[in-house]
Amino acid sequence: MEIRLHHVDESRSVRVLWLLEELEVDFELVSYDFFDKSLRTAEYLMLNPAGRVPALEIDGAVMCESGAMIEYLCELFPEAGLGRPPGDPERMEWLDWLHYAETIGQHCANLTQAHVVLYEPWMRSSTQMSLEARRLSKVLERIELLLVDGREYLMETGFSGVDCAVGYGVDLARRFVRLDELPGVAEYLERLCARPAFQAAQPEADARRIYAQDFYEVPDA
Amino acid sequence: MIRLHHVAFSRSFRILWLLEEMGLEAEIRHYGLTDGSLRAEEYRSISPAGRVPALEIDGITIHESGAIVEYLCETRPEHGLGRLPGDPERVPFLEWLGFAETQASILASLNMQHLFMGDPSPASPAVLRLEAARLASTLKPMEAVMKKRDWLLPSGFSAADTMMGFNLFSAPYFVDFARFGALRAHIARIEARPAYVRAREKDGVQQFYSKPFYPVPEEA
Repeated sequence: MEIRLHHVDESRSVRVLWLLEELEVDFELVSYDFFDKSLRTAEYLMLNPAGRVPALEIDGAVMCESGAMIEYLCELFPEAGLGRPPGDPERMEWLDWLHYAETIGQHCANLTQAHVVLYEPWMRSSTQMSLEARRLSKVLERIELLLVDGREYLMETGFSGVDCAVGYGVDLARRFVRLDELPGVAEYLERLCARPAFQAAQPEADARRIYAQDFYEVPDA
Repeated sequence: MIRLHHVAFSRSFRILWLLEEMGLEAEIRHYGLTDGSLRAEEYRSISPAGRVPALEIDGITIHESGAIVEYLCETRPEHGLGRLPGDPERVPFLEWLGFAETQASILASLNMQHLFMGDPSPASPAVLRLEAARLASTLKPMEAVMKKRDWLLPSGFSAADTMMGFNLFSAPYFVDFARFGALRAHIARIEARPAYVRAREKDGVQQFYSKPFYPVPEEA
């Protein structure tokens, strides 16, 4: 099976790169720079007309949605046990968290746009930025509530593909929301960061990063 | 017993419509965006984040509309509205579900900045312009598909189409659909479905939009 992932460091494609590392399958990685025009070439736009990552080429098909990729890859490699297939007692929770990852991701994306992409202060709205940060904090509370029963990962039976989807969002969220009041989430993130596959999906030490700062404060209005 | 917690014209309409397509009886609980009902203690036990949809079904509660759609299709396969693992359309089915939420996130951002930040909105015109352009760019591939066929998947109507039951009805408030003829024809096809008509009858009055179109404000 030929698998090729088109990737930008620190972007949503990290979810899929991390999962592929967890699955321990062979794949080819094609990396792009977030800040240059490499996602706007005619060749790349053939793959993903929106000029976004990830794009996943898999046995002749092209996928563009990271959540769909995670679900499909877990189905393709059931022996890795990272999915919870139809009929599994955790199936419904697994699906809910897979889609919830995008709820988290949307607030992160809005904050990234405001703090990182829009470099001119007049283009931003601090009202919107503080609203988004509060909503992000609110959606993280659901993870905190889940983890009070002492489980290590989102599924009670252990690590799964939805930890890649949600965990990427948590790793971004810590740049916009202080995790002091969410100790369970902070510990969960530490556990994820300790996984070799997570580390393999992180940028090289000298790479140009989307997120230059560890934390982004909402500017004064 | 199936119970759907619902706000008119929101993402939960995706589920309301799908339930009708499947002919499943459900109790609909209506909530308002501004009356505090989503923040009430009683609802917090159902949805800690105070969001819709929430679907109580088979003794469980599911919150994410995409997850609900997948769950309903997998547990009620006799309706043929999903494309389950092993189906040749499994990849495009999952892709459309993901795409629906990618597009909905832009709509949610536009809704928030145009409607819920005060009047006049302190939102940045630069951001609103960017989001509207982004929304239009997600409508282009849908327009291309609808020039070729009636529904998102080649094999015909599916739950992927019901996922657009929020998107296609909110997008015209922010993007002029004059140039999306195939999408307008597609919306007319949707509106001709008896299950859609029944779902709209149960939907309630939309509280989001007080005018037919929200243009990008002039830059300061």
